[in-house]
Amino acid sequence: MLSDFFILMKQELVIMVIIFVLLLLKIGADMSNEKMMNLANGLLLLNLAAGFTGNQPGVLFNEMYVTNPLIVLEKNILNLGTLIISLQSFSWLKKHDHVPEFYVLLLCTLLGMFFMISSGNLILFYIGLELSSIPLATMANFDLAAKRSSEAAMKFIMSSAFASGLLLFGISLLYGATGTLTFSEMTALITGSPLHIFAFVLLLAGFAFKISVVPFHLWTADVYEGAPVAVTSWLSVVSKGSVLFVFVSVLYTVFKPIAGNWYNMLFLLSVVTILIGNLFAIRQNNIKRFLAFSSIAQIGFILVGITGSSQVSSASVVYFVLIYVFSNLAAFGVVALVSAVTGREQVSDYKGFYKTNPVLSWVLTIALFSLAGVPPTAGFFGKFFLLMAGAGKGNYIPITIAALNMILSFYYYLRIVKAVFMDANEQPIERLTIPAYSKLAMFICVAGILITGLAGFVYDYIYALSFGF
Amino acid sequence: MSSIPLTHILFVSTALFFIGVYGLFTRRNLITMLMAIELMLNSVNINFVAFNKYLYPHTLNGVFFSLFIITVAAAEAAVAIAIIINLYRNHRSIDVEDAQEMKY
Amino acid sequence: MDISQVLFYALSAMALGSAIMVVISRNPVHSVLWLIITFFAISGHYILMNAQFLGIVNLIVYAGAIMVLFLFVIMLMNLNAETEPQKNKWLKLAGVVAGGCLLLVLVAALKQAEVKGKVAMLETGDIGLIRNLGKALFTDFVVPFEISSILFLSAMVGAVVIGKK
Repeated sequence: MLSDFFILMKQELVIMVIIFVLLLLKIGADMSNEKMMNLANGLLLLNLAAGFTGNQPGVLFNEMYVTNPLIVLEKNILNLGTLIISLQSFSWLKKHDHVPEFYVLLLCTLLGMFFMISSGNLILFYIGLELSSIPLATMANFDLAAKRSSEAAMKFIMSSAFASGLLLFGISLLYGATGTLTFSEMTALITGSPLHIFAFVLLLAGFAFKISVVPFHLWTADVYEGAPVAVTSWLSVVSKGSVLFVFVSVLYTVFKPIAGNWYNMLFLLSVVTILIGNLFAIRQNNIKRFLAFSSIAQIGFILVGITGSSQVSSASVVYFVLIYVFSNLAAFGVVALVSAVTGREQVSDYKGFYKTNPVLSWVLTIALFSLAGVPPTAGFFGKFFLLMAGAGKGNYIPITIAALNMILSFYYYLRIVKAVFMDANEQPIERLTIPAYSKLAMFICVAGILITGLAGFVYDYIYALSFGF
Repeated sequence: MSSIPLTHILFVSTALFFIGVYGLFTRRNLITMLMAIELMLNSVNINFVAFNKYLYPHTLNGVFFSLFIITVAAAEAAVAIAIIINLYRNHRSIDVEDAQEMKY
Repeated sequence: MDISQVLFYALSAMALGSAIMVVISRNPVHSVLWLIITFFAISGHYILMNAQFLGIVNLIVYAGAIMVLFLFVIMLMNLNAETEPQKNKWLKLAGVVAGGCLLLVLVAALKQAEVKGKVAMLETGDIGLIRNLGKALFTDFVVPFEISSILFLSAMVGAVVIGKK
C-alpha cells in the first residue's frame, strides 16, 4: 500500500524533493547564481527523464488522486515546458538576487498544476488551482524595482482571487445539488436542472479567467506586459496548458449530461475570443503584449476544437498544447534574450533584426510561422486537427469564422516577420552572443516545431490515449 | 429543534457574496478590495456548511472544504498584502486608479 | 418563535448589516473593524448549525490572525487615507442592479431545485466532534492537507522575497 503511494505519485514526489533540495541549499550553502542555475537545470532534466519511466495507472485515497497514461503524458508536456523556460531564463536570472526562490516558486506552481491535473475530487482540484496561482503572483513581481511589475502582480492577484471566488460559489452550488465532491460520482447525479446549469456557468467563469477567454481576458495583456519574460512565458504556455487539460477532462466526464447546454456557450465564447484576440493584436506595439493577444486568439481556436466533444477533440487539444509549447517558447526565447541583454521590447526595435542577428531572426520567424499556421510547421497541423474536431458536430459557422480569422492573423504575425527582414533601423539591436542554454532551448523548440507536425506517431500516440463521447 | 428553512441561510450567504462583489468593483482602496474578497470567500463557506448540515448530515465534506478555503484564504491574503506593500513602495499610493502605467 | 430562530435572525441581521458597512465605510480601519464583527456573526451561524470546530477556527484564523495582519499593515504603512474619491455614481447604481438581477436568477434556480423547506436535522453532535474530523482529515483528505503545507511554504517564500526591503 505504501509502495503504491510512491509509485503512483512519483512525478509529484520528484518535484517535492527538488523543491526541498533547492530551499535547503539556499539556506545552508552559499552558491553563486550560475552554479545554482546549473544545478537547477540538471535537476529539471532528471525530472523530465524520470517522468517517462515506470508509470502505472491507479487511484489513491478513495479517488482523491487519479493517474492514467493520458495524465502522465500531460505532466510530461508540462515538465518539458518547465525545462525550456528554465533554460531560457538564464541570462535574465543570473543578474538577479533571488535565484533559488525563483525556482522554488516555479516548482511549487508546477506541483499545484500536477495535483490539479490528477485530481479526482473537487477539494484537490481547488487546492491545486490555488497552489498554481498564488506563487505565480509573487513571481510576476520578481522585477522588484520596476513599477510595471508590481502593477502586473496586483492586477493578477486581484483578478485571480475574484475568479476563485466565483469558481468556489459554483462548486458550493454543485455540492449542494449533488451531495458529493468526487468527479466520478457526480456524473450520474447531474441532470439538466437550472441549478446545475447555473453552477456550471459559475465554474466556467472561473476556468475562463484562467485560460483568458473573452470577456475574462482583461488581466492578460497588462500582466503579460509587466511581468518578467520568463514569468510571461510560463503564464502563457504552462499555466494555460494545465488548465486546458483539466477543463477538457472535467467537461467531458462530469458535465457530459448537459453537453447540449455547454456546446452553445463554448461556441459563442470561441467566436468572440478569436475575433477580439485578433482585432486587438493588430494594434499592439509591445511585443509581450502582442504575444498575449495572439495567445488569446489561439485559445479561441482551442475552444472551437473542444466543442467537438469527441475523441479527436480531446486528442487534438493535447496535441495543440504540445505544439503551442514549442512555438510560443521559441518566440519567447528570442524575446527573453533580447530583453535581458538590451531591455528593448517594442516591435519597432525589432526592425532590421536580421542584419545583426540572423540565427535569432530565423528562430523567431519559424516560431511566428508556426503560431500563424503555415505548413509544414507543426502549428498548421495543430490547427488543422482542431478545426477537424470542431467540424465533427456539423456546425460550420464557427469553423468558417475561425478559418477566416486565421487569414487575419497572418497579417499581424507576418507584420513582425516583415519588420525583422525588410525594414531598416537607425539603432538596430546589436549582435547578441547567445548563451549555451538559450541555444539548447531554441534548438529543442525549433526541432519540435519542425518534427512534431510531420512525424505521425506523435498524434497517433496521443489519440490512442484520449477519450471522448 | 430548529425550524429555520435552508433557503433562509442560502439567502444570507448569497447576499453576502453579492455585497462582496459590489465592494470589489466599487472601492478604490486596495486593502478594502481585499476585504471584499474575504467576504466572498466567507459566504461560500456558509454555503458549504449549510448544505452539509441540512442535506447530507452523515458526511463531513462541506466542513472540510470550508476548512481548506479558510487555509487558502489566509495564504492568499498574506501574498496580496506583500504585493500591496511593494506597490505602495513603488507608487507611493494604493489607489487602484493610480496604477495605470499599462493601458490599451 | 423559539430561541434558535431569534438567534438566527439576529445573527443574520448583524452579518448583513456589518458587511454593508464594510463596503461603504470611507476609513479602511473602520472597514476592518466592521469585517471583524461580520466574522463573529458568521461564527455564530456555524455554531448554530452544529459545526463548532469550524466556528472556533474561523474566529481564530480569520478574525484573530488575518484581520490583525490587515490592521497592522494599515497602521504601519499609514494607509488610512480618508480621501478616497468615489467612483462614478452611475457605475455604482449599475453594480447594484446587476447584482440584484444575479440574485434573482439564483433564487429562481434554487426554487426549482427542491431544496426549499428542508429543516436542519440537528442530531446528537457526534459527527462534529474533533476526533471524527481528525480521523477523516488524516485518511481521506491527507493529500490536500499536505499540499496546503506546500502552499504556505511558497506563500512565505514569495512574501519574503517581495516584502523585504
